Amino acid sequence: MNDFHLAPTGETPEIHFEYSRNRLSVAGESYPENAMTFYAPIRSSLAQYLEQLSVDAAVEAHFAFKYFNSSSTKLIRHLIGMLNDAASQGVRVALHWYHDPDDDMMMEFGMDLGEEYRQIALKVSPLETA
Amino acid sequence: MNTALFSEFCNRAAGNGVLFYYSGEFSQNVVHTLGDAVRRRVDACGANGVVRRKVFSAFVEMAQNIVHYAEAANGAGRIGAVAVGLGEEGRFSVLCASPVRADQVERIRSRLDPLRSMTLDQIRQAYREQLRNEAHAEDEVSRGAGLGFLTLAREASEPIEYRITYTSGDHSRAEFYLRAVI
Repeated sequence: MNDFHLAPTGETPEIHFEYSRNRLSVAGESYPENAMTFYAPIRSSLAQYLEQLSVDAAVEAHFAFKYFNSSSTKLIRHLIGMLNDAASQGVRVALHWYHDPDDDMMMEFGMDLGEEYRQIALKVSPLETA
Repeated sequence: MNTALFSEFCNRAAGNGVLFYYSGEFSQNVVHTLGDAVRRRVDACGANGVVRRKVFSAFVEMAQNIVHYAEAANGAGRIGAVAVGLGEEGRFSVLCASPVRADQVERIRSRLDPLRSMTLDQIRQAYREQLRNEAHAEDEVSRGAGLGFLTLAREASEPIEYRITYTSGDHSRAEFYLRAVI
């Protein structure tokens, strides 16, 4: 299956789903005018990928958000819910959730994901700044 | 308006701690451009990263509310106003004003009134519950899936304040003002 890539814009994150390496990364900011429209193709691409994965596959995901608005919030959680569903089918999923060192809310959001989606191995870590 | 009036307007704004003010048409491009300007302005005031992020977040929530709801309200485009102020105590406030449909007034009150009496812990708890509430996940009226005002309340350091004034005698039009102190 072909990799899925969206370049970042000022208000949407970079999406780089390297399906060939089972490595998914999302990084940047998310406050598009219509979050539902922005995330729909990402959801459907991810769904197709997860559908064809063999149950013994291992997926590594990296989510590094600097900011997301309220209408992006549930859609981002939904992507992680999809990974959690795949994990409950047997796929091993490691999710790295990054936050700015001083961004407690982003850190709490990550830890809250860990409480909700228990099939995923989640690691919350501060983003190293150069 | 002449230059004397405009000068008075500018001086009064500056004298009242207005750092930033915009009134007019809102689109996503406007939100983006103003958002960048707000970040830079807050930075230039020496605010730390946490404060800058909260001010920006409150600003985006308010400005996108205008984009999403104002048009339906007055039928004359997405018109509204936003402002960022810096108080003497060093705290930033983010404000917005936009027309709302009279039939939305009760909906707004019923969402904001409970938030105003909650502690920050209760707001965080309500936010976590709303994250898991699937009822609004595909709600077309609420783009924020019920999270918009909660997000704003979470960024604020004191209860968010609002005011609704009717702009027509028959109460068919109203103006909605909102303020979050960071």
